[in-house]
Amino acid sequence: MAKHDIPYVNLAAQGRDQLEDLQRIFGEVVLRGSFVGTDEELAGLERRIAEYCGTTEAVALNSGTDALMLAMLVGGIGRGDEVITPPNSFVASTAAIVHLGATPVFADVLPDQNIDPERIERAITPRTKAIMPVHLTGRLCRMDEIMELANRHGLIVIEDAAQSIGSMHRGRMSGSIGHFGCFSAHPLKNLNALGDGGFVTTNDKDAALRMRRLRAHGMVDRQTVEEWGLVSRMDALQAAILNYRLDKLPDVIARRRANAAHYQGLLRHEQIYVPPCRNDEFNTFHTFVVQVDRRDELQAYLKDRGIKTAIHYPVPIHLQPAAHALGHKKGDFPITERQAERILTLPVNQYMSQGDVEIVAGEVLTFLGR
Amino acid sequence: MSRIDLPLQPNGYKVQWSYLPRQFSAEKIEEILDLFRKFVPTGDFTLGKPVREFEQRFAAMIGTRHAIGVNSGTDALKLSLKALGVGPGDEVITAANTFIATVGAIAENHARPVFVDCTDNFCLDVDQVEGRITERTKALLPVHLAGQMTDMPALMRIAQKHGLPVIEDSCQCILGDIDGRRAGTFGRSGSFSLHPLKNLNVWADGGMIVTDDDDFATVLRQLRNHGLKDRDSVVRMGCNSRLDSLQAVVGNWLIGQVDFITDTRIRNATYLDEELARIPQVRLPRRFSNRKLVFHLYIVFAERRDELLAFCKEKGIEAKVHYPVPLYLQDGLRCYGYTRGDFPVTDRQADTMISFPAHEHLVEEQLAYIVQTVGEFYGV
Repeated sequence: MAKHDIPYVNLAAQGRDQLEDLQRIFGEVVLRGSFVGTDEELAGLERRIAEYCGTTEAVALNSGTDALMLAMLVGGIGRGDEVITPPNSFVASTAAIVHLGATPVFADVLPDQNIDPERIERAITPRTKAIMPVHLTGRLCRMDEIMELANRHGLIVIEDAAQSIGSMHRGRMSGSIGHFGCFSAHPLKNLNALGDGGFVTTNDKDAALRMRRLRAHGMVDRQTVEEWGLVSRMDALQAAILNYRLDKLPDVIARRRANAAHYQGLLRHEQIYVPPCRNDEFNTFHTFVVQVDRRDELQAYLKDRGIKTAIHYPVPIHLQPAAHALGHKKGDFPITERQAERILTLPVNQYMSQGDVEIVAGEVLTFLGR
Repeated sequence: MSRIDLPLQPNGYKVQWSYLPRQFSAEKIEEILDLFRKFVPTGDFTLGKPVREFEQRFAAMIGTRHAIGVNSGTDALKLSLKALGVGPGDEVITAANTFIATVGAIAENHARPVFVDCTDNFCLDVDQVEGRITERTKALLPVHLAGQMTDMPALMRIAQKHGLPVIEDSCQCILGDIDGRRAGTFGRSGSFSLHPLKNLNVWADGGMIVTDDDDFATVLRQLRNHGLKDRDSVVRMGCNSRLDSLQAVVGNWLIGQVDFITDTRIRNATYLDEELARIPQVRLPRRFSNRKLVFHLYIVFAERRDELLAFCKEKGIEAKVHYPVPLYLQDGLRCYGYTRGDFPVTDRQADTMISFPAHEHLVEEQLAYIVQTVGEFYGV
């Protein structure tokens, strides 16, 4: 048997912890018998999310991927347009661009894994229509510089905020800085549903109205189809669960931040890059990603000792088989590629105790000291 | 026969359309809450064990090798077309009178819907299909509307002759068949909706694709989950269209009731057919002895339809029209250049069709009340 037992995620603990409440919510929604479409629960959640993120509008959808797609769709992005985004995200960011018939143009990242504003500027062409920064790990990109660039070049900014609900940069909330903020409520996110879910936040009322139409077949009422839509509704059950969990989000974030701070204090070693917390940032640590040489060895070492870790993400998007048509090769984005070999995500979830953090950090240091 | 009157239901009707609040009696709710209690602590929320189980049971029920759970019936169609490689410049032939989702699925793949008028059973007129095939035609998309069946044997002959794949829109036709062969099993794949108002429903949006083709199933499984082959390998650009595990728990619970639901709807429809046939102002759609029609919707043609609809509502019957404005005349479709009169059967039906509740939660008196009310309207 392994020495420790520290899981990477602990959805089961969350389920046990909240079981009574979740069951009550489930029963209430089921008895109301209103499962999709305009539900009070859904409208209430949208108002609260908008308020939390500091925008005038929030539109609840079926997933974070759909949030990106619909935001770009109402942003007028389509065939022939270029969208600048980093190559080290989850594939959904790039896939959403491809699905709209637009072309993803990658810009390499900074040591903290977020897109480099200088490299964005170099990637701008006459066909560039938008920038899609990804707030990876729950850290916001350098939004001041990105917005300045976007304004100067007349570009739309779609924040991929899937991992960053509640994060801030210079006092501004994730999803409220660009034209659109796209969030995921996937079970592994800090604000999580019991299934897929997502939101778009925006201050553009007309855009929000259009997204509400597009998520339900493009219909304005039962008999009138105003434009081609799709099906991307958040169902009433998930909305009710998210309404309940939104109250708990500040606590989830506080616990993750405390765990991250504890790691930062403990993991002082020249061979490891620990993600920083800068004064002008409020990071929510969807993931806690360190960078080390001999990463695979470290991961195996921790696994042997009962500590589960993950890699976000081992193969950069530009090197995936699906990206073949974009014509990239190894070496095109050297920082991302180098990070892909060195990144390791340590468990940081809200069900970990400070003692658990000490165990993980201790084993990491033991490994590095060898 | 003595006159029937009925108490009002909670939504203000005597014969209500939606039966969702009645899927649960007190003991039923305990049953599902118990399943929910067991499910939540598993943490198995994304494409988990309940989804695999539900897919296996669904495939077994329809009689196909594979069933793939997706986020909606619309996505079931969209992903099926995408898996065929339908894209910009391609044409897909479908019925002019379908629900918007069918055509939305074609448009989302940047292809062009080419409409065919329908017959009196609401499904596309197979005799008109060949006239619409061009060198750009990439697929045929028959719609088994309202639980009726398209003449699939005839359509498959045309498809084979022209080498065209067929994707069946079976969203409203679960367990319908022709000579024992089920809706969804004729074409390359069949798409089902699990929307709350369908014969087999979950409690959110949901859909299912069935197919016997192993490779096609593999592609569909990748497309619904970001094009992922495994956690770290993206083999194609996919999207996020998964059936929630939580909804699969609901589906696994309800799937055992589908035969009861189907049989009861057929029995209710048979009763209404017999009784309404006596009213000369009402005409029944054609019924076929070799087809099992599952009556997702119970639709008849009626004279002075709008007046009848208003009268029924006033009398407490929640009747509806599916659909009052033909799809090809909707604003969203103006770009395709169709004009009023292009599909005369569809037009005629839109003006005369009326849908009555025929679901499994109706009691005999409610069905009799429908007949009585229609008779009263026409003075017979």
